[in-house]
Amino acid sequence: MKNKHFINSFLVASIIGATIISLSSCSKKLEDAYLNPNNPTVVPIEQLLPNVISQMSATAAPPAGGGGGSYGPQVDGTNIGKYIQFWNYYSTGDVYDQMGGPAPGATDALGAIWAMHYYGIGQNNKRIIEWGIEQQKWDYVGVAHAIFAWSWLTLTEHHGEVILREAFNTSLQQFKYDPQPDVYDTVRVICNTALDYLDRTGDSVSQENLAKGDGYFYNGDVNKWKKFVYGVLARSYAHLTNKTVYTTNNYADSVIKYCNLSLATNDDNAVQKFSNGGTSGTSNWFGTFRGNIGTIRQSAFIANLMTGNGATSPFNGVADPRTPYLLRENPNGTYKGILPNLGTSSLSLNDRPANFWGGLFSQTTSSQDTAGRYLFKNDAELPVMTAAEIQFMKAEAAYRKGDKALALTAYTNGISLNLDMLSSKYSVRVAADKQITPAAKTAYMSNPKVVPTEPNSLTLSHILLQKYIASYGFGTEETWTDMRRYHYTDIDPATGNQIYADFTLPSTIYSYNNGEPVYRARPRYNSENLYNVPALQSIGALENDYNTKKPWFLLP
Amino acid sequence: MRKFIPLFSMALMLLITQQLFAQLRTVTGIILSSEDNSPLSGVTVTNVETKKSTTTDEAGSFSIQGAAGQTLLFSYVGFSSLRTPITNSDNVRMTLKKSAGSQLEEVVVTAMDIRRNPRELGYSVQTVKGSDIQETQRENFLNSLQGRVAGATITSTSGTPGASSTIVLRGFNSLSLSNQPLFVVDGIIIDNSTIDAVNNVAAAAGQNTTSNDFTNRIADINPNDIESVTVLKGPEATVLYGSMASSGAIVITTRKAKLTKGKPFNLSYDNSIRFQSLQRFPAAFNGFTQGTNGNGNSAIFTSFGPALEPGTPTYDNVGNFFRTAWGQTHNLGVDFGAPMSSFRLTTSIYDQDGVVPNTNLKRLNFKLTNTTKIGKYIDITPSLAYTNSDNKKTLKGAGGYLLNLYLWPITDNAIDYAKENGKKRFITNVDAADNASEIDNPFFAVNRNSSRDKQDRYISTLAININPLSWLSIAGRFGYDYYTTNGYQYRDPQSSSQSSLANLGSLDNYYVKYRGYNHTISATARHTAGKWNGRLTVGSRWNQTQTERYGVSGTKDSLRIYDSSGTNPLTRTRLSAAKYGQWNQYLLKQIAGFGEATIGYNNYVFLTASMAFESSSVLPKSNRNYSYPGASLSVMMSDLIPKIKGSALTFWKLRTSLASTARLPDPYLNQSNFIDVSVSSNVAFPYQYGFLNANPNLKPEKQKTFEVGTELRLLRDRISIDMAYYNTLATDQIAQSFRASYGTGFVLNTQNNSSVRNEGVEISMGIDPVKTKDFSWNVQFNFNHMWNKVLSIPAPIAQSGGDYYDASTWVYLNTRGGIVEGGTTGTITSYGYARNNNGDIIVDATTGLPTLDGVFRVHGDRTPDFTLGTINRFKYKNFSLSFLWDLKVGGDVYNGTSEYLTINGKTQKTADRLTPRVIQGVLNDGLQNTDNPTPNNIIVTPYYNNLYYGSTAMPDEDYIEHDVNYFRLRDISLYYALPSDFLKRNLRGFQSLSFFATANDVVLFTNYSGADPASNAGNASLRGVGAVGFDYGNIASPLSFNFGLRATF
Repeated sequence: MKNKHFINSFLVASIIGATIISLSSCSKKLEDAYLNPNNPTVVPIEQLLPNVISQMSATAAPPAGGGGGSYGPQVDGTNIGKYIQFWNYYSTGDVYDQMGGPAPGATDALGAIWAMHYYGIGQNNKRIIEWGIEQQKWDYVGVAHAIFAWSWLTLTEHHGEVILREAFNTSLQQFKYDPQPDVYDTVRVICNTALDYLDRTGDSVSQENLAKGDGYFYNGDVNKWKKFVYGVLARSYAHLTNKTVYTTNNYADSVIKYCNLSLATNDDNAVQKFSNGGTSGTSNWFGTFRGNIGTIRQSAFIANLMTGNGATSPFNGVADPRTPYLLRENPNGTYKGILPNLGTSSLSLNDRPANFWGGLFSQTTSSQDTAGRYLFKNDAELPVMTAAEIQFMKAEAAYRKGDKALALTAYTNGISLNLDMLSSKYSVRVAADKQITPAAKTAYMSNPKVVPTEPNSLTLSHILLQKYIASYGFGTEETWTDMRRYHYTDIDPATGNQIYADFTLPSTIYSYNNGEPVYRARPRYNSENLYNVPALQSIGALENDYNTKKPWFLLP
Repeated sequence: MRKFIPLFSMALMLLITQQLFAQLRTVTGIILSSEDNSPLSGVTVTNVETKKSTTTDEAGSFSIQGAAGQTLLFSYVGFSSLRTPITNSDNVRMTLKKSAGSQLEEVVVTAMDIRRNPRELGYSVQTVKGSDIQETQRENFLNSLQGRVAGATITSTSGTPGASSTIVLRGFNSLSLSNQPLFVVDGIIIDNSTIDAVNNVAAAAGQNTTSNDFTNRIADINPNDIESVTVLKGPEATVLYGSMASSGAIVITTRKAKLTKGKPFNLSYDNSIRFQSLQRFPAAFNGFTQGTNGNGNSAIFTSFGPALEPGTPTYDNVGNFFRTAWGQTHNLGVDFGAPMSSFRLTTSIYDQDGVVPNTNLKRLNFKLTNTTKIGKYIDITPSLAYTNSDNKKTLKGAGGYLLNLYLWPITDNAIDYAKENGKKRFITNVDAADNASEIDNPFFAVNRNSSRDKQDRYISTLAININPLSWLSIAGRFGYDYYTTNGYQYRDPQSSSQSSLANLGSLDNYYVKYRGYNHTISATARHTAGKWNGRLTVGSRWNQTQTERYGVSGTKDSLRIYDSSGTNPLTRTRLSAAKYGQWNQYLLKQIAGFGEATIGYNNYVFLTASMAFESSSVLPKSNRNYSYPGASLSVMMSDLIPKIKGSALTFWKLRTSLASTARLPDPYLNQSNFIDVSVSSNVAFPYQYGFLNANPNLKPEKQKTFEVGTELRLLRDRISIDMAYYNTLATDQIAQSFRASYGTGFVLNTQNNSSVRNEGVEISMGIDPVKTKDFSWNVQFNFNHMWNKVLSIPAPIAQSGGDYYDASTWVYLNTRGGIVEGGTTGTITSYGYARNNNGDIIVDATTGLPTLDGVFRVHGDRTPDFTLGTINRFKYKNFSLSFLWDLKVGGDVYNGTSEYLTINGKTQKTADRLTPRVIQGVLNDGLQNTDNPTPNNIIVTPYYNNLYYGSTAMPDEDYIEHDVNYFRLRDISLYYALPSDFLKRNLRGFQSLSFFATANDVVLFTNYSGADPASNAGNASLRGVGAVGFDYGNIASPLSFNFGLRATF
């Protein structure tokens, strides 16, 4: 009997014991079953970087399950370009021609940078940083920081107050807006972090490996990425000219310092290249394949500026050799442009310029990519930042500081770099007799109306108008920032002329603006107006004329 | 997981330190019921001298320590107790007699297949006998539970064979996750999923939860194998099943062989011949011909043309369409073996046509169960069940047959759907163009578009019970559930849905493989000391399920090949993992440890505390482990209060319980995934995150329930009452795919941010008004009243007064199952009339038609005021008659069918279109919100302006029918059993023989204007509240009439 009980107890003990042992192996079984085997939840960061980079120009709508449209500065730039009169709407009644918009309503217009930053780059870039650190790929970590620094700065200059501290918290339902100085500070901190990582070598850092991710950008060259970061730093100081700290803290020195460390040659240019693979995602935003710019035509302002027809322009009477590159002829064989909100009414039939793809003025749909020049081709390289821009930034800082000689040198370099960039990269489909030859370049640059012989003859107009030309098409955000700094029509006290000579505000200002020009874009409608209303309310973004409210960086 | 190891050690120590009684020996025996000599399980066997007690197992066996001369006491609720001295014989065989007047179920099978004395239970359970289920002859046994369980709501999607059914206990607690209970068969968790065409198998457009229905898989169970169904409604009853049973559990006990000594073979057979016929239709109106604004136009389907000329030949398309559907069922059961090892083999053949042409369900069931006693302490019950089913379906809802059947002009004979060359006959377009687009003729739809699912399912279970010591029992339940579903959905090249595909048909093939394994091992120790009685159960459960899915979609021509080889390889699209040549996998692994301790005093106060620890692979390591406690108290007032017990009050129990549980999301919902994008790149497959933030920080949903209840038996048990009030708070609910600021880094979000409070009262009452030897009458009522409040929904939606909705409920125009903060879970949101501050309808100042608000606002609530099921059972000599009335009062229904048909001029609503009228309202002239709005005075004659009935002037609001009641005779059965002496004399070999006639869905009284207010525009796969209460393109439950015989040999 006792024996039997012992057996029973032993049996019980064994069963329970076996259960306990089996439990310890269960933890692993649970972990094995955790990850989603059907869709990738972890991917090599080399495969994440190409999309993040492409966000810096303009992305295409990803496939099902992805985002819902094209994002990036060029998407918003198509409308911002109307504010700054790179181009205008081919007909009348366009809100952006009138410096309006987007009107409070169901539109995501001017929200493409918002989507680019928070959705397109955001979590993807965070994973590059997170996994890059785990994998000791410091170059990737540095590049991801560089892109964040650039996108935070672009975002805040576009919108003003944005979501900073609470950004990317997937457990929050509502997001508070942070003041703009905080964003500027963050940009500089991220820049420094980026530089630290980009300086690191060894471990898994390799140019060959980085080139997998940035093959269509810097091809693995961390030194160029560093120059790009310095460029962002330079911008972050150069954009504060209206603030008293600009002079009290000698920001001009910071600009000059960072410009010296930044992009120096056209080879350093930060440029998105395209594989032109017959899909939107591999094609230039401005090309015929994507067909996004059928309704915009070059403005009268840029046409007059480049053809020397600007009455008060320092370049009056000078024909710019870049004109056949950047602008389109009309049936008369001349270069003319349209006025905002007036469409064709300002030009006779034969004076109306071709569209940017080389089609008729009236043609708004894209055809084959056979006649587009410059940026307006499917495979055209699209700059994000250029060495010329850096030189003009330096020139402006030196000018403000009073170092006119340095300003003139930088100014001259800027023009030269831009002419070189065009002649080397964008001569395709420019008639042979209209291409920029070394002789043409020399002739242009030796014209004292273009490059003053005397440093003291240099004016802000020279610098900013040349920067305007050198940024044409791709530099919409930087140019808008510049023009906003000078309130579009500020007078240069040194000359008594308008800095942006001959630039006129649209004759009709959008009704919601209360007569004021535009100074910022509203936060993205489908993100904020629908789902983050309390935060919008707190910054006054529900007001009809919020777009005319000057952001912090423009105020003293 | 480590946390519960101490619990085990504790149990282990308890075992080892237990004193042994050397002078005792083991007495074993079997207890049978005097009624039918079947073994009684759960009988308490007490050694009066040692105070030790045990309970009998499923086979009625027990073993207990005792010495000759001591007395054993057998007690069982509802039976007279019995005392017997222990003799020298080792094997005791006792028969217990049913005590007079008892009608409550005697033993309750609770969680973990544990049989418990109802006195102990601090929560409500309700049991339905298998024989009641079988009596209804319903193919999907869930449908037979409606009205039989207080607090259970069962909605069948449609009246076609194989239609899915949704069951919800005590209302909707979760807004996004499943609210359906867990199904447990003989202690084993069994799958009851329904294919979700959108999220599970859709590789192509055209798949949606509205148009295709899939059987809910618990319907694979042969209703004839069911011994009893116990419904555990609250989490306090199911705390031991963990998160899977957060919406309650349906515990099914299957029949085992019942052999008695000297009769090693039992044979039973029954059959049923059935016909079904559709009795209820939406009221159609056919007074006008095709056209618009009174002008005839035979090229369109809207019937706003001139009135139908008297004498015009018309066709009864509706009558020609539906058919009387025949079906039959045959059930055979064989018990054989010896009492020590007995077998039960059952087979069932079910074959039923649907009232819709080309629909059919065939099902074949086999099940073999064995019960074997090994030695004195161990008994095992292995079983193997096989189900094969083949369901031919048609597509319902939008693009299905029903809406177009009513839309079809009665001047055309729809039955001629094809031309001589076999192509579709068009009536509005040029017939020569074979690929012209036109809505599908309903006959074309059911003959040319098709869908079919085939399943094979194996369920094997093993139960092991070891009773090594009188005070200890160890139970193991092991189960394996495997099935495959192969199905397709085919749309003909000429189907209206295909016209854009260059005259190609489409074929979607889907393949599902499900493997579920789970086991539960528990040990229960009992101890009695004086008046104190203790019971401790500890155990662990392992559960893993693996669902594999493969979906292939492509275009195909009319060649009738229905597997995926019939699709054009260039057009095939597949589920995501197919990119890597794999099936999509959904893995779930869970482990749990649990303990439950009950302390009883004097057999009238019982306090139970339980604790469960669970870990699940669904969650990341950091929040994978969670636990939830429960406690309950049961007090037998009738024993506690002296002298209260008498013939007036025979039983009175008060009970209360408090418990919490967790509810888990589906696997991978917390892992955002990358999708490949097209971008200039040096690497293949550049990636970016998709829209959806599958939040890695997700926690399980939390749910707390408080319940209080009482059970009473009055007037010598003639009346029994069970009442319960419950209050459930579900917090941290997972809201899925809601939009928020892009600040999260995503467009759509998943977060724990919603909460719901759910309350209700349930009353079940049984009355025996007449009880004589020859005649008896028993009535049972099941009453249920629920109310609830949505406490929070995602803030980004709530802040703008929006509704949180499941897109699958948005079946037609602008009505959906939208949920708003402060509303109920059953709200319906839709577009409504634009109104001024005074509430007057704002009328367009030029057309005289109403204007709409264009926003989703609450216009209805599907939650009923109460439901009441009434079951009557009459017995007169050898006749028995039973019937179930199902009453629902209140609750709104969206009649999408009516909206569709009204917009097309085919409902009674449009009959008076020639009558000029002025819509009561104010003109939209700028004065509408002033003190003196301009009253509308514009006369509209809808005949000349059929926009009057259009979706821009008559909003969805108008089609939400309020306070829809129904009173429905669900099942009625008449049985006649031949007297046994007649059988003995005339039909030797028959042990019993009876004949029956049963009818289902016989009578429906309702104020609903459509065919059937119990409707689901989606199917049982929908999560959250789903599309119950949405009627769109569904047929009513048809009347079924069954007759057959039942014999045992």
